[in-house]
Amino acid sequence: MNAEVKVKAPTRAPMVGAEKRLLRHAMMPHMLCPGCGHGIVLDAMLAVLSARYDNLDNVAFVAGIGCSSRIVGYIDACTLHTTHGRPLSFATGLKLARPDLNVIVVTGDGDGVSIGGNHLIHAARRNIDITCVLLNNEIYGMTGGQAAPTTVPGAYTSTTPQGNTQHPFDVSELVKAAGATFVARASSYRPQVVGDIFGQALDHVGFSFLEVMTDCTEYFGRTNRFGDGADMLMSQSRYDPSIDADLASRATVEELTNPQPVRPVLPKGILHRSSRLTLEETLSVSGGRCSSANEIEVLDGDTRRGF
Amino acid sequence: MASNQTAGKVMTNGNGGENMASVRSGNLVLGGVGGQGIITASNTISYVCIEAGLNVKKSEVHGMSQRGGAVVSHLRFGAEVHSVIVEPGQAEWILGFEWEEGLRYLEYLKPGGVAFVSTERRIPPSAQVDRRGGKINYPLDSEVPVGVVPVDTYRIVGKAASERTASAQTVLLGALSVEMGLPVELWHKAIEATVPPKTIKANLLSFENGRSWYEERKGGATARQGASSHSEDYPNRSTNGNKAASSGIKKLGSSSEAVMSISSWMGGTPRVEITRAWCKGCNICVSVCPERVLSIDSQEIAVVSEPDRCTGCGLCARLCPDLAIDILLDEAANDEPVQSLAKKLGDNR
Repeated sequence: MNAEVKVKAPTRAPMVGAEKRLLRHAMMPHMLCPGCGHGIVLDAMLAVLSARYDNLDNVAFVAGIGCSSRIVGYIDACTLHTTHGRPLSFATGLKLARPDLNVIVVTGDGDGVSIGGNHLIHAARRNIDITCVLLNNEIYGMTGGQAAPTTVPGAYTSTTPQGNTQHPFDVSELVKAAGATFVARASSYRPQVVGDIFGQALDHVGFSFLEVMTDCTEYFGRTNRFGDGADMLMSQSRYDPSIDADLASRATVEELTNPQPVRPVLPKGILHRSSRLTLEETLSVSGGRCSSANEIEVLDGDTRRGF
Repeated sequence: MASNQTAGKVMTNGNGGENMASVRSGNLVLGGVGGQGIITASNTISYVCIEAGLNVKKSEVHGMSQRGGAVVSHLRFGAEVHSVIVEPGQAEWILGFEWEEGLRYLEYLKPGGVAFVSTERRIPPSAQVDRRGGKINYPLDSEVPVGVVPVDTYRIVGKAASERTASAQTVLLGALSVEMGLPVELWHKAIEATVPPKTIKANLLSFENGRSWYEERKGGATARQGASSHSEDYPNRSTNGNKAASSGIKKLGSSSEAVMSISSWMGGTPRVEITRAWCKGCNICVSVCPERVLSIDSQEIAVVSEPDRCTGCGLCARLCPDLAIDILLDEAANDEPVQSLAKKLGDNR
């Protein structure tokens, strides 16, 4: 063990130094707060992409406004930074104009569900062949910690100083109901699962939607006394039913004497997968991938036919 | 490696190899690690005794057993049994399903009793004091005490120890059945009734293997009395069981030996490298590291405070939101290339 040769370790990807290779080094370090879960998702996505691509010249990242959307700025791919809530609209146009590109939309819950809620459900309805990664931190982070349509009941935000009283969206169910052909949910506590599902979402032909539960440490965590980034990350494991079903069922907002917002136990994994004609196929746009020989195939007991 | 050769002197004392046709009463202690089938085995023995028209009582302790904790089962049978608990020094037989766990209950053994102890070792995670170097806090150098019959269950079954088989420990029942002397048909019936249906065939085979192994061993004990000990895998012990004559005692292994070091597995030494300019000191890496390698310095930046403890699990690198952590591999020049690690880790991705 004398002649030591220092070699870059491939712990995060089979390739040596893979993640750093796809980063825009001039932009680093990124602007995310300490402990922000978005950075973990960025890392997991880069691990998948670096295993698949030498360079990202044929991959286009489209993002709107928000912390989550900001992470595409650090990826050395074709990136499109668009108006608030409209990344899916821009991505639809981009995909129809350049079907050869692998278009990936990174959006957040404020961007994608609130302001861009219509665009989200219509992209799912049209079944355009893009991948949408929605980072759900249950709050508007960048704009100052306002309540989002995904904020859990009881949560204190800058617009709900008495605690949120409104029922949140289940985003994955919403997108599934709107007709997406691939719907999955993961959490930043398990970056390998995020990467695994992200890879499957890339492979899927049609609108593939991945919701990743992340932590906003500064606005959501601090206002609600959830501790720092490490504490919030661990709390994800606490409320992960696959890790601890018993603990998860213990506390609800109603039961607590000193009500603190409790994040709901949400099902994780691939929630829905089916196949039908994509928007490119219905418009006969050439150059795109095809969904299972242009046939409307019904999987997972999904009895709905094409729209 | 025929075990019956090594049996040499073992059975010449103990219970004296008595050829009783059938035992009508007795006390048993079964010990091992959770998941090995101790409760199932005690159910099987109870079934046999009930079928033989005997009164049986059994009691077991199995808290936290599925996490590798200790399991012990007391079983008493006879014409009439009043208490379920075996008193120390009153058990005719002990079945140890794991080496150290089996030896733990030796105080229950009657003078002249027999303890069948599997040589299988299950080293608990808490005994791995040095995961990087492979050091363990688990006595591998146990001597074989008086009355103990080491049973290499996996070898008798014909499987490697790495192949976890649902039937290996039934070998112990086979050996016990020779001592207890109850009809073999009852044992077959009991195994069929108590083990999971899919494993009945394998368990019956293991039972017969164990039974024939121990019969041979007992027969060999009388035939080869006085024969010189072979340097086999099992230790001899002096016929009088005296510690003074322990010069002939062989050890099953050396203490706290490095079982498998991280560097031998990875082909190099893992090392954490932190890009200080990118780190924001969020404390995630410090709290997730299982070996407590990292800490936060006075500038609120993560530093590697205990580099020698890193096992290269990569948890910190994967969960770092700032992409500031890399695991490097310091590789010796002549070691296997780094691609092998990539391959190994690639399987886990």
